[in-house]
Amino acid sequence: MPALLETRALTKRFPGVTALRDVSFDLRPGEIHALCGENGAGKSTLIKLLSGLHPHGSYEGELRLDDRPAQFRSIADAQRAGIAVIYQELALVPELSIAENLFLGSEPRRGLLIDWEKLYTDARAVLARVGLTLALETPVAQLGVGQQQLVEIAKALSKQTRILILDEPTAALAEREVETLLDLLRDLRAHGIACIYISHKLDEVFTLADRITVLRDGATISTRATAATSKHGVIRDMVGREIQDLFPRTASHPGDVLLRVEALRAAPSAHTPARLQDISFTVRAGEVLGIGGLMGAGRTELLMHIFGAWGVRQQGRVEIRGQTLPPGSPVQALASGLALVSEDRKRYGLVLERDIGFNLSLSSLARLRRGPLIDEESEVRVSQKMFSALRVKAPSLETVVGTLSGGNQQKVVIGKALMTAPSVVFLDEPTRGIDIGAKLEVYELVNQLTAEGKAVVLVSSELPELMGMSDRILMLHEGRVGGEFARADATPERLLAAAMGHQLSAA
Amino acid sequence: MKTKFSVRDFSLVLSLIVVWVFFAVASPQYLSARNLSALSVELAITATLALGMLLVILPGHIDLSVGSGVGLVGGIAAVLVFNHHWPAPLAFLPALAVALLVWFAQGTLIVRQRIPAFIITLGGLLIFKGAFWLVINTHTVPVAPGGRPNLFSLLTTYYLTPLVSYGLIALLLVALVVVTLRGRKRRVAMGFAVDDAELAFLKLFLTAQALLLFVLAVNQFRGIPLPVLILGAVALAIHVITRHTPFGRHLYAIGGNEEAAFVSGVPVQRVVITAYTLLGGIVAITGLLQTAYSGAATTTVGDSMELDAIAACVIGGTSLRGGRGTVLGVIFGALIMASLLNGMTLLAVSPELKFIARGAVLTLAVWMDVKLSKR
Repeated sequence: MPALLETRALTKRFPGVTALRDVSFDLRPGEIHALCGENGAGKSTLIKLLSGLHPHGSYEGELRLDDRPAQFRSIADAQRAGIAVIYQELALVPELSIAENLFLGSEPRRGLLIDWEKLYTDARAVLARVGLTLALETPVAQLGVGQQQLVEIAKALSKQTRILILDEPTAALAEREVETLLDLLRDLRAHGIACIYISHKLDEVFTLADRITVLRDGATISTRATAATSKHGVIRDMVGREIQDLFPRTASHPGDVLLRVEALRAAPSAHTPARLQDISFTVRAGEVLGIGGLMGAGRTELLMHIFGAWGVRQQGRVEIRGQTLPPGSPVQALASGLALVSEDRKRYGLVLERDIGFNLSLSSLARLRRGPLIDEESEVRVSQKMFSALRVKAPSLETVVGTLSGGNQQKVVIGKALMTAPSVVFLDEPTRGIDIGAKLEVYELVNQLTAEGKAVVLVSSELPELMGMSDRILMLHEGRVGGEFARADATPERLLAAAMGHQLSAA
Repeated sequence: MKTKFSVRDFSLVLSLIVVWVFFAVASPQYLSARNLSALSVELAITATLALGMLLVILPGHIDLSVGSGVGLVGGIAAVLVFNHHWPAPLAFLPALAVALLVWFAQGTLIVRQRIPAFIITLGGLLIFKGAFWLVINTHTVPVAPGGRPNLFSLLTTYYLTPLVSYGLIALLLVALVVVTLRGRKRRVAMGFAVDDAELAFLKLFLTAQALLLFVLAVNQFRGIPLPVLILGAVALAIHVITRHTPFGRHLYAIGGNEEAAFVSGVPVQRVVITAYTLLGGIVAITGLLQTAYSGAATTTVGDSMELDAIAACVIGGTSLRGGRGTVLGVIFGALIMASLLNGMTLLAVSPELKFIARGAVLTLAVWMDVKLSKR
């Protein structure tokens, strides 16, 4: 059977990194094809190529549709060819009704005006295809996430979609909604609509998919019929790399408990369901606790919440050096000796239009005062020391931060945190987007911090980094602790299984 | 901070020269000692208010209610002095207290209820205007009963004697030289780049020239007007606050990146409320000055002053998105604004055209800001 959609030796390069190399993938008519891989394996990049977001010419290799070369120059091109993507973040206008959303931008017209009659008739027909029986005038804001997703799919169907691409569609759904969605996808398959299904949830993948393709480090590792593989096999394919000897973690001698988190439960805001539940752990002086998990598992939220910059506490407590830390106040967190290096340094880390000195001392101004004024001489002295110790590559403290490279910006954010003389340091993806040399410097810094008796919590999406730098590893799964591992017991398979909510028997 | 001449600085100086040359040609009185003295009083009032506005624009907010506030504060003081025969200094206190309290409340509403400053202060604009008219009962309330000068009326009619004026400027020049030299020495000691000696000297020389010309001009009339002294004190205070205190750093940090500031341990809400409260204090000072300058609280005192203040900030290089702006820039912006308004008054330009000119300058300044900060 000829493939409906096929990629031949696709390679996509970004400055400094190859996101996809020689990816070959094919989708047959009326097939549900699951795409699996760790964070950063290249799944999103592949979708962006298929959907025209990365236009023809920005990649190497060939994209074929109906056995003919396809050259999408835009998302609109791909849509016209019958390809629709349903992203995790839904693209509906909450204030508009279901019917209006369905035909947003392609409203049936009669002259200059909208042909409401046709719009409603068409809307009713297309909603029926996804099994929604809601009033068409209902504002989308009143729908649950699952129903909104169905509206999105209906919208795609109204555009003669033949290929539906779903990116983690069940991440935010309740169990019953998941069932509805899976049933719908099977039904669509029966009607000849092919589907690329991306999910971390192997249970769903195995009940739904006809074939499974595993990506790793931007390359296709395997494509197998679902019946011919197992969950264990898929996990092995996803991990399958050697842990390089890149991580200079020195032996640790854990001391007193510096951070204690007990039965934490927290939600994004007062009236939303909890995103973090039953989370308890401790970190000792001189110890690195690694926290891993898949995208959306709640790692960043956990750090930000303990630090006081995210969400509402519903239950549980946090202690730093035996003192209770009240929720919701970064000011108090810093004062009690907790410092955070955020994952998103441009958003939460830096004032880009200001210079290095301004950014470095921003968290420590309180201790750099002489009377009501800033003691500028000691400020510059302390900042200069940090500037040299971290080997920030810039002419002087007066260099504007926005002009620095990613690695040097990251050093400034780390320097700002360290200037507060913390006893517990949270590092959230500290090596994301920085080059290998800067990475090594960050690892050495972690060793130095623990040697000084500080406790470090390291969040990382990269299993090798997590395993290489942590003394203990906590894996999160959907906002809960999926498993805790001593350094010696941590294997990539076990960590990944814990992150996906499975328990593997000891290998 | 780096001290480089930029396109922006250059175009500022150029527009000021254009304004002055235009009005000097159009009206021979424009550069007379008497008018320059009046201009300096008007500059002092506009600049003082604009410096307060700077405090809330730096963290990315705005205040449209200051003009009405100016009227209200002056009205309260005038009614207490004229209708209730309070001594002027005593009447200043409730006026100041009201302003501090009201602006504290506005700041609190803005940050705690997360209502955009634009809306809150637009409401304030109307409410304070109404309250002002209630307070003065839409009458004209003179600041000095029976025309006898009191501290209120003296605010804008007291002049330092020429001799004291010379002395003050001499002292200022010495201080300027000392501060410049010490600042250079410290920057060199800390390993920072400094201007060439020649450029530094040139800047100092030009500043000295400007100050000397100013004092020569106003001394031909009566000497340095008191409001200029008040502006000097306010400017020094705001300069120190924005440049040399943690609070000032926090203002820039919030305007530059509020989320990063919050995560860095900046008490964002407290800082913004404090900025508004300080602005309230400055509204009080401006209110007393402006009312004294008008001679009486009348229904039009303070009209459109919020726009002049915002325009002065933007012309002086303050970004309406927050995070950028300096005291010196704002004073320069106020000088351009005041020079324009004063010149138009002198030429007896009709109020209609004045409104249009004000609006055009404000729009032009914001447009230039957007253009220049895109690069």
